[in-house]
Amino acid sequence: MTNLSRRDFLKLARDGFLWLSGALALGGLLRFLDYEPNPAPKTEFDLGPADQYPLGSRTLLTDPPAVLLHTESGFSALSLVCTHLGCTVEQNADGFICPCHGSRFDADGNVTHRPADKPLHSLRVEITPQNTLRLRLD
Amino acid sequence: MRPSFFHHLHPPAIPAAQARWRHTLGAGGTAVFLMLLLGVTGILEMFYYVPNPEEAALSVQTLTYHVPFGGFIRNLHYWSAQLLLIVSAVHLLRVIFTAAYKYPRRFNYLLGLGLFVLAVMLDFTGYILRWDQGICWPLTTGTNLIKTIPLIGGFLFRLAVGGGDACQTALTRFYTWHIFALTLPVVVLGVWHAFRVRRDGGIATPPARLFLDRTRIPRDELVRREAAAMFIVGILLILLSVFFPAPIAPAMIDKPSLNAETRAPWFFLWVQQMLKWGDPFIFGVLIPLGILTLLALIPYIFPQPADSDIGRWFPKSNRLAQVVVTVIAIFVIILTLINT
Ligand code: HEM
Ligand code: FES
Repeated sequence: MTNLSRRDFLKLARDGFLWLSGALALGGLLRFLDYEPNPAPKTEFDLGPADQYPLGSRTLLTDPPAVLLHTESGFSALSLVCTHLGCTVEQNADGFICPCHGSRFDADGNVTHRPADKPLHSLRVEITPQNTLRLRLD
Repeated sequence: MRPSFFHHLHPPAIPAAQARWRHTLGAGGTAVFLMLLLGVTGILEMFYYVPNPEEAALSVQTLTYHVPFGGFIRNLHYWSAQLLLIVSAVHLLRVIFTAAYKYPRRFNYLLGLGLFVLAVMLDFTGYILRWDQGICWPLTTGTNLIKTIPLIGGFLFRLAVGGGDACQTALTRFYTWHIFALTLPVVVLGVWHAFRVRRDGGIATPPARLFLDRTRIPRDELVRREAAAMFIVGILLILLSVFFPAPIAPAMIDKPSLNAETRAPWFFLWVQQMLKWGDPFIFGVLIPLGILTLLALIPYIFPQPADSDIGRWFPKSNRLAQVVVTVIAIFVIILTLINT
């Protein structure tokens, strides 16, 4: 073991103490800022009576942004939140186009033009016992 | 009289070469003036601004249309912020093109670069404070970009926004960042930067032994030139504020309507253009950060300019830095123009 003078030891102890308190304070600050004060965004949306949406209909929803489809095989929904960075896509003749960076999707939500590289999410639609529709984002 | 910080920055006499317009372009000093103006007009805006998602946009409208001179104050704040970005960029280019970043000034070069980044962040957070329909998509894409950073993305996002859906929740944090948590570092770095200018021997000029121009100007002359620059910039700001008011769109109620603005604010148009090309992390985070890192490294890893070249425009010995920075500037300008 090297010989540590009393003065050096005290200096080392002081520096160590200061760095440690600094690190602890920083850690505390980061945890402080990490809290999410806002309620998590809604994941369930009531869409009202199912018979509002007749067979073959295609309804544009704004909250959440989605299209609701009623086909032979039941209800389904396609999210209109662009999978690139989250703008809302707009409908056009052959599907959807995102105004923010120009991603394009076909009517089923598959990417036809970058930069998005994932298809639009399909959302779950449930029929409640009261025969209303409920949309889940999950 | 005891010397004050003002006297520290204005010694009794300085070499005339350090105060020539064609050498400094007056850009650094103008940036200081704009920041002071931003501080004053910003505090005035705070008397009316309500940092609450339901009322923010309405309070900006009240400020703009009802408060006497409110629109003028807001426009001054807005235009000072836009000019600040341009003037700081010009200042940065001048420092590189005159090889002024060389040791012993390279630490101060980093302080300046830090100030530039803070100014960009202040401009973005301030723009978000409008909280009108125009800011939702730039806010959403900008903050979702943070999330694409591996490992720490989610944490940084919560740090910046506070979690949730940015268009509904980010206001509290952006307000705090804007008026305090970014402004305070600007004050600290700004004072330090100014202090270091004098400490490092004033504005960069070739070393005395190589330098024939020995004329000096007195303090009064320096102050007079600064006043002239402030006067000109002040007139320009007044004209801009009177004839080109800062934009404001209808208040954001929930999500914006389909015809809302989707274009980024002008200083991020180049990033938005790159985002069209592919992976958001690469084009939206890595490339901008890479450019910043490259700029920060210029005084450290690029060939050192010769002593006799310091403080001269476009000297041969720092050609590489000049070329690299020019290419970056042209790249950014072209992308901005494509996306306009
Ligand atoms: C370098 C410093 C600063 C920059 C670059 C900056 C930039 C901006 C920008 C671009 C806006 C948006 C203007 C608009 O579009 O309407 C804004 C708004 C605002 N700023 Fe600043 N700012 C700075 C300093 C400050 C300071 C020091 C304060 C307060 C102490 C402040 C308070 C405000 C307030 C309350 C608003 C909202 C009102 C509005 O949107 O017009 N700012 N800022
Ligand atoms: S957010 Fe849709 S293309 Fe970028």
